[in-house]
Amino acid sequence: MESLSVQNVDMVYNLPKGGSVHALSDVSFDLEAGRLLTLLGPSGCGKTTLLNIIAGFLAPTAGQVLLGGVPVTGPSRDRGMVFQQGALFEWQSVAKNISFGPRMSGKKHKDVLPEVESLLDVVGLQGFGDKQVYELSGGMQQRVALARCLANDPQMMLMDEPLGALDALTREKMQSLILSLWAETGKSVVLVTHSVEEALILGDVVFVMAPRPGRIEKVYELPFAKRALTEDPRTLKAGDDFQEVKEEILSFIWEMEEEIMGTEAGQ
Amino acid sequence: MSKTDRSDRKTAAFGDSSSVRSLPFWSVLSAVVLILTWWGLTTAWGFPDEFRDQFQAAALADGDDPNLSDREFFQQCQRDAVCDPDTSYTQFVSPLIFPSIGDTWSAAGELVTEGYRNTALRTHTWASLWRVMRGLFWGSLIGIPVGLAMGLSSRARGFFDTIVEAFRPIPPLALLPLFTLSFGLGEKSAVPLLVFASIWIMIIAARSGIRNAQLSKVRAAYSLGASKRQLLTKVLIPNALPEIFTGLRVALGVSWGTLVAAELSGVQEGLGAMISIAKNFSRLDVIVVGIVIIALLGVLMDVLLRFLEAVLIPWRGKG
Repeated sequence: MESLSVQNVDMVYNLPKGGSVHALSDVSFDLEAGRLLTLLGPSGCGKTTLLNIIAGFLAPTAGQVLLGGVPVTGPSRDRGMVFQQGALFEWQSVAKNISFGPRMSGKKHKDVLPEVESLLDVVGLQGFGDKQVYELSGGMQQRVALARCLANDPQMMLMDEPLGALDALTREKMQSLILSLWAETGKSVVLVTHSVEEALILGDVVFVMAPRPGRIEKVYELPFAKRALTEDPRTLKAGDDFQEVKEEILSFIWEMEEEIMGTEAGQ
Repeated sequence: MSKTDRSDRKTAAFGDSSSVRSLPFWSVLSAVVLILTWWGLTTAWGFPDEFRDQFQAAALADGDDPNLSDREFFQQCQRDAVCDPDTSYTQFVSPLIFPSIGDTWSAAGELVTEGYRNTALRTHTWASLWRVMRGLFWGSLIGIPVGLAMGLSSRARGFFDTIVEAFRPIPPLALLPLFTLSFGLGEKSAVPLLVFASIWIMIIAARSGIRNAQLSKVRAAYSLGASKRQLLTKVLIPNALPEIFTGLRVALGVSWGTLVAAELSGVQEGLGAMISIAKNFSRLDVIVVGIVIIALLGVLMDVLLRFLEAVLIPWRGKG
């Protein structure tokens, strides 16, 4: 597994009606292999932009991203993506969705069936291979998306609000699934979320980002993700240490929001 | 309508569009009303029969066959200047304005057994069907790739936008004189006219099929290692199939709508040709039979396409 290095990344969007938005300003960090990084922040702080740059969907205006020392120039199979809405291919069965990556590199579907079966097992969808994706619930579709991403055995998994569209109960179950996948595969994960609680329970490392210009404002290294592998996540979330960090970040984000409202009113 | 639907328990149903559905009884009723009106106006209601008897007697006196159909009787009657078309006929709607159910039915029988003007009805029908299918085939074969290109490339979009927007609003009938002079009479301009009718629809359908692909699906495919070609064949085209199919259905409807115009190009066989020839002989019954066959074929092919759609694209609307 390779480590990720983001070096002095700057992103400026030109608006169609003139003017520009400074989405990211001089963002730098290193992420060792096998860490789970969550990106948190108010809307407009550039967290999704940063994820898209790491994925290679966007080229930064300045700076660069290296994975294992190699510059990222575009999307690639070593950085798997999971989106908010499955982005599954609904014309194919669950099994064929999962084998999509291997098939793109020339493998036959029937040759990768054993891997597909074991991945279905891993994400808790035993026996669902022949189902059509539109027959599955939202939570199950996200399980397929995770399996599809893992089928390519990527260096990193990038997740853009993967649980954002799920109900609260499903969401908690999926958080546990993401944690166990992370622990079992040892892959690096970068996960964007707007839920403070989710960022804290999943984040081995948490970046709290701030807008205008988009930047990393605070960095937390937290024990909760690792503890949630053995302890009950709900007891963990109710604990004083968890609540303390949560309150700190929430009030910080509140302050930022107030500031934004203030500057907007003043304009 | 699902079993759990609570429409019957809704207290504020008026204006709630989800509680409005097509009640089968009323659909049947509308068909019955239509046929009854046709029967009433052309057959049942009108002046007393004495009128007809009177003129039939006059026809007899003139040496004509008294067992003629209403239409034939009336035509002879007029020819011999015995009848006054404004007052003499016994039904409210004269067969010169619209044929009766009986006349239409017997014309249909006559067409089925003897054909029209030495051509079997089967031949007319098949000629039209074949023409529509060829038009749709070429329209799709050219239109779909152009539409795909417009959805994929800014250059293609820019280039073809001008052409599509310039030609799309032209009604096919307006082009018929030009086509017959440029391409020649008959089949040579009938099929191109049908291609013209369907091609713009297919271009727009394929284009919007590509344009409406979710960005996340495209990005997911790239992250999974798909090349541009794989993205096109494994993701974008399957993703566009539902819209292309909708385009096909619309184009099919428009093709049937253009058929009669296309067959004015001087073809000898075809339902549209049959209708326009029948017009020259005032055979309203033949015209109505032709119209009914075209309507039935249109509905039949649409049902067929819907069936194909359910088989080939079961994911439609479930993405």
